[in-house]
This record gives sequence, C-alpha cells and structure tokens, in this order.
Amino acid sequence: MHGLYNFVRGPLAWVAFILFIGGSLYRLISMYKLARKKDVFVFEYTTLYFALRSILHWIIPFGNINSRNRPIFTIVTFAFHICLLAVPIFLLAHIILWDESFNINWWSLPDGVADIMALIVVAGCGYFLWRRLTQPEAKFVTSAGDYVILAIVAAPFITGFLAYHQWLGYKFWLILHILSGEIWLAAIPFTRLSHMLFFPLNRAYIGSEFGAVRHVRDY
Amino acid sequence: MRKRTLALNIGMGILVSILAFVLIPAYSQEDIVTLEDDAFGDRQRPAAVFAHEEHNEKAEIEECNVCHHLYQHGEKVEDESSESMGCADCHNVKEGYPTMPLMKAYHDMCQGCHKEKGEGPITCGECHPRGEPVASHETAH
Repeated sequence: MHGLYNFVRGPLAWVAFILFIGGSLYRLISMYKLARKKDVFVFEYTTLYFALRSILHWIIPFGNINSRNRPIFTIVTFAFHICLLAVPIFLLAHIILWDESFNINWWSLPDGVADIMALIVVAGCGYFLWRRLTQPEAKFVTSAGDYVILAIVAAPFITGFLAYHQWLGYKFWLILHILSGEIWLAAIPFTRLSHMLFFPLNRAYIGSEFGAVRHVRDY
Repeated sequence: MRKRTLALNIGMGILVSILAFVLIPAYSQEDIVTLEDDAFGDRQRPAAVFAHEEHNEKAEIEECNVCHHLYQHGEKVEDESSESMGCADCHNVKEGYPTMPLMKAYHDMCQGCHKEKGEGPITCGECHPRGEPVASHETAH
C-alpha cells in the first residue's frame, strides 16, 4: 500500500533533484565553455553594472518598452512566474515534507492563497497556449515540443489542486502530482525551461553589449 | 424543611447524574474520532481522523504509553505514561526546543509508526480528509 507513494517520494525525488541540479550545472558549464570558444569578447565587455541594469529592467513589471507595449502579456507573465515559483517553495504541505526529511522549515503561504495562486499558474498556461496557437509572433517559433513543455508545467499544478481538494481519487492525484513535479524539475535544464538558468546570463550579455559597445539601452 | 432538603438533594443528584452522562462520554476514549488539539490556532487542514478504540484494536496496542509517552531529561521513561496530560503540555505549537513542535510531534507519532509497520495512512489527505465536519464534542482533549 505504501510502495508506490514511497517510491515517488523517495528514490524518484532524489533522481529528479540530481537531474535538476546536475543538469543545470552541466548546462551552465557547457555554455561557459562554448562562449570561451566561440565568443570570447563576451568576457571583455560584460560588466556588472550593465548586467544588473538590464536584469533589473526586465525583472520589474513594465520596466522596459517591450513589456509596456504588451500590458496584458506582461501582467499574465509576471503573475504566472511569481505564482509558479512561490507556490511550490512556500506551500505548507511541501515545507512539512522538508521538515520531516531534513529538519528544515520556513515561512509558508496560507493554503487558501496557494490554492488561488495554483489556479493563476494553470490560467497562465492556458493563456500561453492560446498565444502559441493564435498570435503570429509566437506561432511562428512554436514547435510540438513547446506544447509538451506547457503540459509539463501545468500538470503539477492541476494534479496538486485536485489532490488538495480531494474530490475524487486522492491518492491517484497525489502520486501523479509528485511524479509530474519531478518530471518538471528534471526537464528544466534540458528544455526551453532552461530560461530559468539562462535569463540572467542573456540579460547580462545583451545588456553589456548594448550598454558598453553600442552605448544604447536594451530596455 | 427536611423534605425540601431531601428534594433538593435528590434533584441535585439527578442533575449531577445527567451531567455525568452528558459530560463523561464526551471525554471518554470511545468518542475520540479526531485529534482536534485546541492548542492549534488557525487550522490549514481539517483535524486528523483518529478513532481511538478502533485504531488500538486494529493496531493491537495495549499499553497507553506506546503513544502517550513521557520524556524526562530527553529520555523516554519506560514504565510511565502521560494520558492524563495534553500533548500540548510539553509540545509547543511554535518553539521546538527541547521538545518537538506540536504538529511535528503528531505527524511523527502517527506516521513514524505507520512507516515502521508499513500500514496505516502516511499521506496528507488520508489523515486530513475534507468533507463532513466532525461534531465538536467528539474530539480529543
């Protein structure tokens, strides 16, 4: 009876975290090596000031022209990403698992708030799906894998929501929730989700090139 | 006057008996079906389901101190038990030192045994099911 749950919570969770952390290090190191080989000037003109200036302008809502031109997209993407990161990290049930396994704990969101935030993530995925299907600028660069990625991201939140509310088949949704969360985590370094790792580097690169070489703003 | 006193005495006796019938079952083990500890303030989840008698019969627990343990100077006192105390008398809701915080103590007590035996609930929703609220008198003290 405990078997499947213990397997997804125990060994599979380790596999997911090792793939996530190991994969992320691998991707970052390979990117560094590639840059050293192919674009060594990056290291010459990248400066902390222009890097941080660019990161800040793109991490603050409406901090750049692009996001001011697309207010709905900006609101959705910020709400989506904030909820996406905050819910798994600050969910009470998750923190209890950390506490039980490693004796560490931290501040948690009220369950009711986390519930709404999970729905915001799912709604965000719906918006991005609609965008990829209909908006030419997104449609043009969309391949089948992008839909799979959207499903990978939405799945832990949908299954978590269903497990939390215990409407039907609690244990089934719970196990699927853990499994989908692990797939998501493991997928981050190896898919487009790696923008989580590369976003600050991209901005540092572009920000420095625009700031230090072209002497213009990139925001 | 004596008659009045007698009637009063009988009346009091009846009243006490009624109260005893009403109150004592409310706190007897048979009626414990959830672990709704008053020490917790705002609850995020429904109180854990726990039918005291049924559980102990099924789990073949005879000694009270299997669960109602007593610790002194960080050591479990083997022959002592603590069923006359509330869990929150030793386990604070917030501070974890020197004892485990209350929620962790409950989780550890239930899940620790269930994991060890390979039986009984170990996931969140199995102990904290949503649905019909349990009447307030049917709770552990």
